[in-house]
Amino acid sequence: MSADATTPDAALLRLSDVTKTYRMGEETVPALREVSLTMQPGEFTALMGPSGSGKSTMLNICGLIDHPDSGKVELEGDNIGLLAEQALTLVRREKIGFIFQGFNLVPVMTTFENVEYPLFLSGIPAQERRRRVSDILAKVGLAELERRRPDELSGGQRQRVAIARALVKAPKLIIADEPTANLDSATSSQIVGVMHELGRMIGTTFLIATHDPRLTLLCDRVITMNDGVLQ
Amino acid sequence: MKWLIFAGKNILRNRRRSLITILITAVGSAGILIGGGFALFTYESLREMAARDSGHLIVAHKNFFTIDEDTPMQYGLDNVAEMKKRLEQDAGVRMALPRVQFSGLISNGDKSSVFVGMGVDPGGEFYTKGPALTIVSGATLSSAPKVDAPAEILLGTELARQMKATPGSVLTLLSTTTAGSLNALDVTVRGTVTVGVPDVDKRLVYVDIATAQRLLLTDKVSTLSVYLKDTNQTDMMRSQVSTLFPRQSVQTWRDQAYYYTAVRSLYNRIFGLLGIVIVVMVAFAISNTLAMAVVERTREIGTLRALGTLPRQIVRVFALEGIILGGVGSLCGMLASLAITFVFLLADFQMPPPPGRSVGYPLQINFSPLLYLLTTLALVLLSVAAAWFVSRKMAAKPIVEALTHV
Repeated sequence: MSADATTPDAALLRLSDVTKTYRMGEETVPALREVSLTMQPGEFTALMGPSGSGKSTMLNICGLIDHPDSGKVELEGDNIGLLAEQALTLVRREKIGFIFQGFNLVPVMTTFENVEYPLFLSGIPAQERRRRVSDILAKVGLAELERRRPDELSGGQRQRVAIARALVKAPKLIIADEPTANLDSATSSQIVGVMHELGRMIGTTFLIATHDPRLTLLCDRVITMNDGVLQ
Repeated sequence: MKWLIFAGKNILRNRRRSLITILITAVGSAGILIGGGFALFTYESLREMAARDSGHLIVAHKNFFTIDEDTPMQYGLDNVAEMKKRLEQDAGVRMALPRVQFSGLISNGDKSSVFVGMGVDPGGEFYTKGPALTIVSGATLSSAPKVDAPAEILLGTELARQMKATPGSVLTLLSTTTAGSLNALDVTVRGTVTVGVPDVDKRLVYVDIATAQRLLLTDKVSTLSVYLKDTNQTDMMRSQVSTLFPRQSVQTWRDQAYYYTAVRSLYNRIFGLLGIVIVVMVAFAISNTLAMAVVERTREIGTLRALGTLPRQIVRVFALEGIILGGVGSLCGMLASLAITFVFLLADFQMPPPPGRSVGYPLQINFSPLLYLLTTLALVLLSVAAAWFVSRKMAAKPIVEALTHV
């Protein structure tokens, strides 16, 4: 099954007949069944579906942190399957950001350091890092909290840090796995607003697994998965 | 620098665990440094004792060290005064002392006993012996005995006890001359001495060279002991002296220091084994700490990998943590070792007499920069190896698995 958008030549991400199967003991469980998907630059896409439908596997493969058993994954026209592990890491470093459901901040780092980390990995000079981190923290409303560690922040503030960390390097693609699942409704609305606004401002493509209807309202496209197949 | 700061912050995550690891490393490091320092002090003391006893270099007839003599002084040295003069012209030589080795019977008129005698130059001999020879009663031999004065001897304490001799007692020395006949000489006990080895004190007799030569009917000496200003120059000076006297044989103090060699060999094994045990213990402590940290931070490792951190960068962080744990632990161990070394230096603790000896020796610990450097390097390298060992698999674990780790 496929969910293709228009103008395939300009696609940021293209999955073609991607299959992924997990082995659980003697049993094999298909997570994705010949899934095809094309995402355009700047597109805001919500991925919905019940638990076990294959959303997480889909995100992992789109985020280049898992490999399909068969099929092809292309990012900006490059066949990802041909890349070695180190090259994949470098592609993720430069082009992909992640927002996790559990925030996944590094607890010993301050807000500033957590957001700075992807820039440090990319070898950006310290002065430029400071400018960009301060800028993005101001945009997510955490300028005053840059010296705090994650355990000194509320859930909403932590998720804003995670969003800032994902966006600070202005990646081509952001993979967000239920970014509002652990937040109350008021905070969720704020987070959704921040993601949408900054995503549009930077021109980043979002693929967001969510059950949150408020989030889907802001998306360009909503796709649904069921039993490893895109509906 | 960022990686180091990150590693430092990781160390502080579980302060108690890190502190215990640092303490174990410090205790291990101090143990190695104190044990090693004590061994080095022992080696140095034994080396000095051996060199004081035999001289740094021993010059003798070319057959002296290899072939048993048929008659006394068969392989003795002639013209020793000229040799002594030439040797003492070298700036590296403190003095050259002739010695006559002989043996025989000593008698007090009622009973006799075997003695091992040494004819020496009293002026230099008792100066060079230093603490290796202790006068128990009386005085040392006269440096310039009067021509008509009766011959004097120094007796080992045990031999003096056997002979019931005290300073002033008259005894008789009986020995074989160079011609193979027997000769006897009445001597007066000038004093009693101990070298701290009861078996030696039981046979020891010192006389001046002239008396020994008179007893043996010879003008030769057995050896010429060369004392250097710097023990470390021994090998270099051996070459020079061998060149100077090509027809003689030259040995170093090491060739004759059987006790030194045996103790060094024994201590090397004991302290070497102890060191290995300590190092393994420290390695386990650091591995254990880092292994727990790796498991606890599995999800975080997955996150960092997803963000674009290479596996080797993950391993690098853990290696830096190992360096901090091992380095700080070693530093604390060094400080503790220095403090203990200083205390021992001031406190004058004494070790009990070693086997075969009757006197103890000071318990001191040598400070060796090389030992400190090597110990620290070994512990830090070991820490890095432990960190690499425990983190390499986790760093390469599939990211999805790491992220879902519970």
